[in-house]
Amino acid sequence: MKLWQNIFLSSLLLMILAINIVSAAVLSSSHKMLLEREQTHAVNEYEFFSASFSNAVIYERLRADEVILSEEQVAEIASELFFGREKGANRAAVLSADDRKLVAGSGFDQIMELSEFGDYLDSYSPDPDTCQIRIFPVGKAHMMTVTSSMTVEGNDYIVITALDVSDIYAMRDRQRDFVRKVSIISAGIVSLILLITVIILLRPLSRLNIYTKAIAGGNYKIRIRKKGSIEFRELSGNMNIMADSIQRNAARLEKIAEDRQTFIANLAHEMKTPLTSILGFGDLLRIKKNVTDDERMEYAGVIVEETKRLRSLSGKLMELVALGGTETEMKPVALREIFRDLETAFSPQLSKNGLTLYTSCEEITVNADEELLKSLLSNLIENAVKASSEGKRIALNARHSDEGRCLISVTDEGIGMSQEAIEKVFQPFYMVDKSRSRKAGGAGLGLALCEKIASVHGAELSVTSEIGKGTTVSLLMKEADKQ
Amino acid sequence: MISILIIEDDVNIAKMIKATLSIVGYSGTCRYDGRSGAEEAMKGSYDLILLDIMLPEMNGFEVMESIKSCGTPVIFLTAMQDVADKVKGLRLGAEDYIVKPFEALELLARIDVVLRRSEKTRDTITYGDLTADIGRHIITLKGQPVQLTPKEFDVIVYFLQHQDIAVTRERLLSAVWGYEFEGESRTVDIHVQQVRRKLGLKDKLITIPKLGYRLESQDSV
Repeated sequence: MKLWQNIFLSSLLLMILAINIVSAAVLSSSHKMLLEREQTHAVNEYEFFSASFSNAVIYERLRADEVILSEEQVAEIASELFFGREKGANRAAVLSADDRKLVAGSGFDQIMELSEFGDYLDSYSPDPDTCQIRIFPVGKAHMMTVTSSMTVEGNDYIVITALDVSDIYAMRDRQRDFVRKVSIISAGIVSLILLITVIILLRPLSRLNIYTKAIAGGNYKIRIRKKGSIEFRELSGNMNIMADSIQRNAARLEKIAEDRQTFIANLAHEMKTPLTSILGFGDLLRIKKNVTDDERMEYAGVIVEETKRLRSLSGKLMELVALGGTETEMKPVALREIFRDLETAFSPQLSKNGLTLYTSCEEITVNADEELLKSLLSNLIENAVKASSEGKRIALNARHSDEGRCLISVTDEGIGMSQEAIEKVFQPFYMVDKSRSRKAGGAGLGLALCEKIASVHGAELSVTSEIGKGTTVSLLMKEADKQ
Repeated sequence: MISILIIEDDVNIAKMIKATLSIVGYSGTCRYDGRSGAEEAMKGSYDLILLDIMLPEMNGFEVMESIKSCGTPVIFLTAMQDVADKVKGLRLGAEDYIVKPFEALELLARIDVVLRRSEKTRDTITYGDLTADIGRHIITLKGQPVQLTPKEFDVIVYFLQHQDIAVTRERLLSAVWGYEFEGESRTVDIHVQQVRRKLGLKDKLITIPKLGYRLESQDSV
């Protein structure tokens, strides 16, 4: 069942129940009050009747001048008394206490016929000091009887008067019907108002529902406007936070997938370029009838050159893959020693290209995998060599920086690069000058590899460059704790 | 002589294409970036342009747009296998595309198709006493027409167009019977034998062991 249906039905039931309980209590108390008032009235009437009965007996005894009146005389007086009364105005009866027979009565026939009344009369024990009050339903009417006994001329009589209290009961029934109708109508109205309120209050929920479905359907961009009660505002806010994080994660995953896609596309391209030359020249050697020695040398030369390029590409790729998988062994390494090794390793290449390498190193120890760090710096120096023309200088520096870190930098006076190129330079396969880089046997993976090594060491790699002036690549990494 | 402009940034590939073109007697001119390639295409009169897509300065699509007005047919050379790129190239008006890496003969075959479409190849080829009229599908030996089946005709025309080149059975199969044909190389052998017999090319159309056949050019004997 829906929430609004639930609220509507339960409130409707509760309302009806509450109104009925309250009205029943009010009605019964007012009914009781009315009955009490009627009781006084009935007792007064009884007393008036019994007084006039005994007065009539005394008056008759004095008139007849007798000591005591007989039973018959008393019965006659009673009959006369009733005869004189207006019939049906008041009901009263005089019964003999011995055999409970009617001596005289008026308007009492119907009551006398009631079996309940008979039982009551049988069980009644005469008591002249108290009045018993009972209510008997007679047909559709209700009669309030007042019963007591009195001794007249030596004989005991039971005197009963009855008062019609039907009006009170009829009024009670009428009021009950009225209350019932009112309760249903008012409960209906109240519930309707409640229903409308609930629907209005819950409207933000259906809005939220629509948005949630939209977000679940993949539309991560939409945000929910904060509307409605505080709870809904809070929920909307939290949903927005959730959508934010979903969008962020989705974007991140998309970026990763995209990067991977680009990487593979670039890799395929980088592999196809040398393969095209190899296949083409190989095919030429195979299908051409007459190949001169010069042509053969040229074709085979290209094949060897391009094969070497493929080999270097696969080597770099392997390094890149291996970096992601294997655990590196971090040990304290003195930078001065690494610098010395690098100088030795690069000296033939540097002298061949007519370049000079200047190194300066402060007393620094870092926690690093020695081979990886060497590979990183070699790559940077190699790039510097590629960018420099004959006679230029390359500087390799290491100095203390702030927060217990050190700054290692490789600076050249080479061709430099644009701001646009700097932004892309860490992307795999990016080459600032493709043909130049290829001539030098590059695959565009060097700096991507460097960045990976740097991230393994928790270090930061940054580039500054100016076209025609040179490039500086800096590595900011933590120094080892001094013991 | 047919002259072809090669716009390709990789020096070795450009060199390789030029060498491949030279074996069928086409002359090639190389340009290594998009801008100078486009300028050269507008300046010179070329029969065909071979255009790489990933080029410095201007990429292949941009070059294509800028040289549209000169009306020279273009074949794309691409390392990408993305269908969208191929469609883009063809929509821009390229005649064909070749995916790198490719074999020399495949390149020549594609070039021939495009040149024939623009009616720049010779319609008749003469080879000694033999004259092949490609347009009318007639071959004559010493002035007398020779009865050849259509496939046999295609085979001899292919050899005439690729004189002095060793043609593999697979290459011949895909050129004559189509790329999708999954026939046996035996089919090729039978057709070659028929052509040899009917046209008296026993000494000229020679078998190269383990590779295929070659039609010796007239002057090399």
